[in-house]
Amino acid sequence: MARRIGMMTIGSAFIFFLILIGLQEKVFAGELTEKVKDTTDKIIAIVSNQEMKQPDKAAERKRLIRQAIDERFDWEEMARRTLARHWTGRNDTEKKEFIFLFGKLLERTYLDKVEGYSGEKVNYEGETIDGDYGTVKVGIMTTQEKSIAVLYRLKKKGPDWFVYDISIEGVSLINNYRTQFNSIITKSSFQDLMKRLRTNVEEG
Amino acid sequence: MWRRDKVLGPLGMKRKFFSVILVCCFFSLIDIRLAWPGSLSPFEIAMADSKAPHDHDEEYYEEVEDEIYDPIEPFNRAMFVFNDRLYFWVLKPVAEVYNEILPEPLRVSIRNFFLNLLTPVRAVNCLLQGKIDGFGTELGRFLINTTMGVYGFGDAAAVCFDIRRRDEDLGQTIGLYGVGPGIYICWPVFGPSSIRDTIGMVGDGFLNPLYFWPQEAAYRAGISGLRVVNSTSLDLGEYESIKKAALDAYVALRDGYHQYRKNKIKD
Repeated sequence: MARRIGMMTIGSAFIFFLILIGLQEKVFAGELTEKVKDTTDKIIAIVSNQEMKQPDKAAERKRLIRQAIDERFDWEEMARRTLARHWTGRNDTEKKEFIFLFGKLLERTYLDKVEGYSGEKVNYEGETIDGDYGTVKVGIMTTQEKSIAVLYRLKKKGPDWFVYDISIEGVSLINNYRTQFNSIITKSSFQDLMKRLRTNVEEG
Repeated sequence: MWRRDKVLGPLGMKRKFFSVILVCCFFSLIDIRLAWPGSLSPFEIAMADSKAPHDHDEEYYEEVEDEIYDPIEPFNRAMFVFNDRLYFWVLKPVAEVYNEILPEPLRVSIRNFFLNLLTPVRAVNCLLQGKIDGFGTELGRFLINTTMGVYGFGDAAAVCFDIRRRDEDLGQTIGLYGVGPGIYICWPVFGPSSIRDTIGMVGDGFLNPLYFWPQEAAYRAGISGLRVVNSTSLDLGEYESIKKAALDAYVALRDGYHQYRKNKIKD
């Protein structure tokens, strides 16, 4: 019996030790996290501002959110990556129009998402930097106790970092659009892709 | 059995129960330890993995496509349209009425209850994948949520102890051993899948208590229906926004499924 109690003490001490190690809080406040956090905080401030929720402020609200996203997102890089091998064959006018339309589509998708913001918690879970590329991992806790893993991919341009891809639960936005665009172009044509893009953006 | 109990006595049983709890706590602690800073967290391991050449390759215009093979696309597209109609004409209207009747916290609890029942699927697949810590986590979660969480309606393990569910299934297990998805299949009602994941789904069925209980098929169907309507009611609007953002919703869903499963197998 005594031996058993001795074992139990050692056992509990060991578990206590493990808890202590586990409790060491580590604060992530890297450069990239700050960039993403700055933009996210700005957007959350706009969407949770009660005054801005008035119907007559809707346009102003959209403009402010758009501005905050534009500062951090690199639409051209995104456009290039989604067209991938089809990018090189395009002339400047086509490229310009594509960047504009694709940017609008992404902006609207993002806007629709943040418009529905209802107090979800955003946790910054770490970042990696490798040369001119970096990632920021974010966990979003929904009001339904569901956690969503989001990964921002950033690229350094000059002194600043810009987002060029967002992965949600492992699904990269850019990869997803690339697959869609490639399928449309190979089955029909680049012109058809542009036509569909235009319709989608106008209907938005 | 009767004899053994008598020999062990009530004290012996208690001790047994206590040591099971201790073992579970121990395993879940390993999990917390792994997920927390200080050592290499699963995230860092995943990160090391995702430093794939495509991130740094300046030649990304020539990027190799990683798409799921889809030789039965005409059939799949037809099923996609069928599921789309099923959602907008049947499932969504029903879920909207259901939404009106039950408040959200109650619907979250019902989802938790079903997820708790599916613990055997996740726990066994953790074992099959050699994730002993995950097995401990699932066992610990089941004990905590069934008791403290009252039959699993509350996710006490996540709320009080931050012990999160480990989503493992047979499709992922088979994938971990190097088997690819085969071909893409869009099943009517069940939606996006692959050969591998269909086999996995059938295999996991044997570990799903709702396949055996209750014995009357009508009740079983009713419970499955409740589960589907309940989970739909919590995700209303998600399918719509995917569709709205897509230029080809069928391809968007197919690729989304492929990427999602690849990521699940990796972690």
